[in-house]
Amino acid sequence: MLEQVPVEADSDKLTDEDLAMSATPGATDTRRKVVLVAGSGRSGTSLMSGILKHMGMHVPEPEVVADATNPKGFGEPRWVVDFHETLLKRVNVHTADARPSAWFDAGRAGTRELNRTELTTWLEEQFTHSDSLVIKDPRISWFLGLWRVAAVRSGASTRTITMLRPPAEVVGSKNAYYGGRQGDISRLAGWTNVMLCTERATRGSARSFVRYHDLLDDWTKTVVRLGEELDLAEVGEAGTGKMQEVHSFVDPQLRRVRATWDDLSVPDPLREVAQATWEQLNQIAEPGGDTPEAHAALDDMRRAYGAVYADAEALANSSVVAAGPAFLRATRQARAAQAEAEAAAAFEAASPMRKTYLRTRRAGGRVKRRLQNRGE
Amino acid sequence: MADNHLLLTNLEERHDFDVAWPRDFHAQEPGVTAVLRVKNEARSLPWVLPPLFEAVQKIVVVDNQSDDGTPDVARAVAEQVGAAERLTVTAYPFGVSRCGAEHLATPEASIHNLAYFYNWSFAHVDTAYSMKWDGDMVLTREGIETFADLSWQLESVEAVIAMPRHPLFVESDRVAYLDVYMVNIEEYVFPMGEEYRHVKAYEWEMRMVPRRARRVRLPEGLCVELKYLDSDEFDHWDGQDAFGATPRTMRKLREWEVFHALKEGRADEVEGVVRIEAPADYDHVISYVTQSWLPRQSRPVIVPLDQRPGYVATEESAPATR
Repeated sequence: MLEQVPVEADSDKLTDEDLAMSATPGATDTRRKVVLVAGSGRSGTSLMSGILKHMGMHVPEPEVVADATNPKGFGEPRWVVDFHETLLKRVNVHTADARPSAWFDAGRAGTRELNRTELTTWLEEQFTHSDSLVIKDPRISWFLGLWRVAAVRSGASTRTITMLRPPAEVVGSKNAYYGGRQGDISRLAGWTNVMLCTERATRGSARSFVRYHDLLDDWTKTVVRLGEELDLAEVGEAGTGKMQEVHSFVDPQLRRVRATWDDLSVPDPLREVAQATWEQLNQIAEPGGDTPEAHAALDDMRRAYGAVYADAEALANSSVVAAGPAFLRATRQARAAQAEAEAAAAFEAASPMRKTYLRTRRAGGRVKRRLQNRGE
Repeated sequence: MADNHLLLTNLEERHDFDVAWPRDFHAQEPGVTAVLRVKNEARSLPWVLPPLFEAVQKIVVVDNQSDDGTPDVARAVAEQVGAAERLTVTAYPFGVSRCGAEHLATPEASIHNLAYFYNWSFAHVDTAYSMKWDGDMVLTREGIETFADLSWQLESVEAVIAMPRHPLFVESDRVAYLDVYMVNIEEYVFPMGEEYRHVKAYEWEMRMVPRRARRVRLPEGLCVELKYLDSDEFDHWDGQDAFGATPRTMRKLREWEVFHALKEGRADEVEGVVRIEAPADYDHVISYVTQSWLPRQSRPVIVPLDQRPGYVATEESAPATR
């Protein structure tokens, strides 16, 4: 700031009224609200989103279509999933990324004006359908700040619900339903990273933590508390019709995977930090449990996890270095394959007239090349 | 002195004002500390500090010879928002050379040099990151959300954060003017550490940044810089000539011109200034601008150069610093 020539002391000293005026809370359109449902995949996020939808809140359409991994539906807006996937791809982060530094990369995407504008525009459009929106996607944890900014720009308030499920069950469920290359260790590391930072990203804002098991055991008790904590009129004022809908929707048999630590093969330091994280998040889920002491404990765990990850990264440094050229080659091949697939899909989608035109042009090209070859 | 700190001494041999500068930001406590070097900012701090406490872990207020009760106001505001334990108030009792020629003539190791003053001030930071802040800069609601996220996302990386800010000329409790022609982007958030010390530049201080540091530029609309039209903020300047004419000082010239035009009731003579009037349900125009008007304003807030009257394609853009 500029150096100033001293001025005469101001006789009008600040009053308590002046101080109070500056601390006036921000104004939002009290009608508009967005409930963000976060947490690791396979933790009941779809269940929570579905319950709120049955209670009368709006899940923007179209939704992701139900499949065998989630027969009751995902409760996910298609646009949101696509938006998040695009952003994650741009910053080279994946849904259950285990790298602590990935939060900075994803956060960076959230600071780009283009992304803020795109999300705000979409959100404004959704508010023309309803003032109470539910947004759920397992990728949302990476962009909670971006969502809050879009809500601020739309004059809306946000609340976040984070679903909790024992980490061993989450990993077991992912192994059962997703399979793939990822194993117990990377899945557990991803869970720990996502849950620790989801907690950090929502700290200080309107939030609730809900255990998946509680929701399945007795959704009424859990949801009433949630409605009170987050001031959700739709929940508090739900009539019997809506309750019947939710009873039909919630299937206690949903908890089909009941894995424990004994079912996983993970190193002790990772298991210890994951277990401690789970226990601490459970405490926060209790009424009155969201305390500064709990936050400090979770800060310690986040740093402990960072140290565990840094050690593992250092240990695997040779593999990381060796993977560099292989990664580039695989990326090039994947891009070429994708371009080919897109061209084929575009051809399939083309009209019969265009197909005929393209076939004719290709045939013409072949004839031309033959004639040229003869001439040589 | 522990080995993990670098000792900076001053030419005046005031060892009670030596600087113990941390060598490695990784060795510091995680988080961000905002450092405000202030002089007579009692009027602005009630606007500045509450959002800042929401955005960062700690605040250091370094008072430089205020006579308007600035330190007491800082403590009162912190107390009011329940953040007294996150505030450090200290005092730097020496005159500091004015930006420009006076600064250029003052050795970097003098207690009167801006770089030395900054190093002394920032040495109070015990977190990994520091945030340079002014006593008249107010975060918008969007700005709070953005910096609150950064305050923990930075834990695992080494990065420097830049941000544009918007001058807000406050006429009264109800009316203010936002300068939408001002392009003023500066770096605000830096890791602590030996390679991030302040050094002397031509007109003022600057902070060293190693090449490996990642850089992030935040979007517009996160922060306004308060200028009170009923104050004598610019009266101590001799006139427009005092600002010089380098690209780095052109911003001061624009501020001076807008300030005086608005103060003299010639708002219609200045291009790129938007008049904002707070609706009745807002207590003050600063609340309205930071909580609602600016967050909801369409982007870009700053009018692009090529959309301004008289724009010439080859013209240099406005200065990128200060």
